[in-house]
Amino acid sequence: MAGEEKGVAKRDEGLERAPSLIDENPEERVIRALIDDFPSAIADFKKLKKGVVRAMIERRELYKACKMLRDKLGFEHISMISAVEYDAKFEIVYHITSYQHQLLLELITSTPKDDLSVDSVSSIWGGANWQEREAYDLMGVKFNNHPKLERILLPKDYLYHPLRKDFKG
Amino acid sequence: MAEMWINMGPQHPMTHGLWNLRIKVDGETIVDAEPEVGYLHRGIEKLCEDRTYTQIIPIADRLCYGASLAWSHLYCMTVEDLMGIEVPERAEYIRVAALEMQRIASHLMWLAAYAADLGAMIGFIYSMRDREVFIDILQALSGSRITYNFPRIGGVAHDVYPTFERDTLRACGYMEKKLKEYEDLYEGSKVFMMRNEGVGVLKKQDAMNLGVTGPSLRASGVKYDIRKDMPYSVYPEIDFEPATHPDCDCYSRFKVRMDEMYQSCRIIRQAVAKMPKGKWRVLAPRNGPVGTGIGRVEDPRGEGMMYVVGNGTDRPYRLKIRSPIFVSVSAAPKMLIGYKVADVVAIMGGLDMCIGETDR
Repeated sequence: MAGEEKGVAKRDEGLERAPSLIDENPEERVIRALIDDFPSAIADFKKLKKGVVRAMIERRELYKACKMLRDKLGFEHISMISAVEYDAKFEIVYHITSYQHQLLLELITSTPKDDLSVDSVSSIWGGANWQEREAYDLMGVKFNNHPKLERILLPKDYLYHPLRKDFKG
Repeated sequence: MAEMWINMGPQHPMTHGLWNLRIKVDGETIVDAEPEVGYLHRGIEKLCEDRTYTQIIPIADRLCYGASLAWSHLYCMTVEDLMGIEVPERAEYIRVAALEMQRIASHLMWLAAYAADLGAMIGFIYSMRDREVFIDILQALSGSRITYNFPRIGGVAHDVYPTFERDTLRACGYMEKKLKEYEDLYEGSKVFMMRNEGVGVLKKQDAMNLGVTGPSLRASGVKYDIRKDMPYSVYPEIDFEPATHPDCDCYSRFKVRMDEMYQSCRIIRQAVAKMPKGKWRVLAPRNGPVGTGIGRVEDPRGEGMMYVVGNGTDRPYRLKIRSPIFVSVSAAPKMLIGYKVADVVAIMGGLDMCIGETDR
């Protein structure tokens, strides 16, 4: 499992290789790798500040992209999953951390209100399990293939999803 | 032997707050576990959508009674990120000194509860007594003992009081002496060590994958501290070493928190010495812009994080709070399975549960 050593991955192998800006910048490397693998699904890259990158992704590729992020790019930890309601859609925002590269990736996917579901990433990061349950509980977002999609903070027989904008006390 | 489910909680001396741990036992051995939270859900995220940016600072204090300053600071940091405000340097140093005092106070409260759980009742009295030293300074600084309402969007509420430097240095000197005494007290206690060593092992891979953060993660041998690895505020200018321990057990979690208190004393000394003269607050606009902001801090319990969405009015459109313990407690089954019922107290105590932030 990666993550034992700090700093950017081995750079000393093969001295004949020309130095490249992408190796120096972990942010650039993540962007490059994601664009290479998911050219049509990834959009709107932006480096927010040092070590923080934002990207939009289409929800059909979300699971595959997350798997690649953990297995190939060294993102070991999912920090936060937030659901945000807009007029016509929901945005699910994933904040994913790389311990070894000291990066934070803000991955945003959106889902329409009439088909409110995204793929669960809790089989990739165990820490996503309860956070997805919380998003389901408070916002009503369905996570496909989640091992136990039940209410977590509110009682099991509760009828509403209280963080939605149309819920008034 | 027949297996059965046992409820430890919501009213149980082990829980330290209102939550329930259901464990399935086979004789004395735990074969399955299921934490249940939500008894203290107050809907803070919904409440925040109906309050102005300034009104949320005292609400953020109420997230955790043990480390309230860390949460109001995190909230202010997040909104500063949304509004693009530069905080004056003096304010940052005041915040760092206060935050580290809050961290020591929080860890001492954890130690008090932990020691009392494991039968060292004298530890409770000692820790609570020494916690007062820092609470007194924070009270003189902010005016209240537990929920400080001290950080502001764009700085801190007011400057330090005249004898702040003398008091903090004195408190740090006192604390470092006492910490040595605690270590001798606990590590010299055979009962305490027997209930800690080799109990509740959480492997490095599991700790990372299950989202455990903070002292519990560093106790599993991962050297990751947000203060060091993704620095915020003025932590890059301060010299300290994140505490880690390779053993992955309860003793390791105890040791990491003890070492962190030493490091916090080190940080406070430097922050007080380096504190520049100048302003301690800039005025923030009333309305936030359209956009998003994130804040991420090393809370005493782990990775605290907030995500705010602004829509141009004076109220946040959405504020999402990431609670470190909410995620850490979901890793409890991994730590509990295979150990005895008597170990539950040590294992769950070592996580430093705080239900206020877990349930929000």
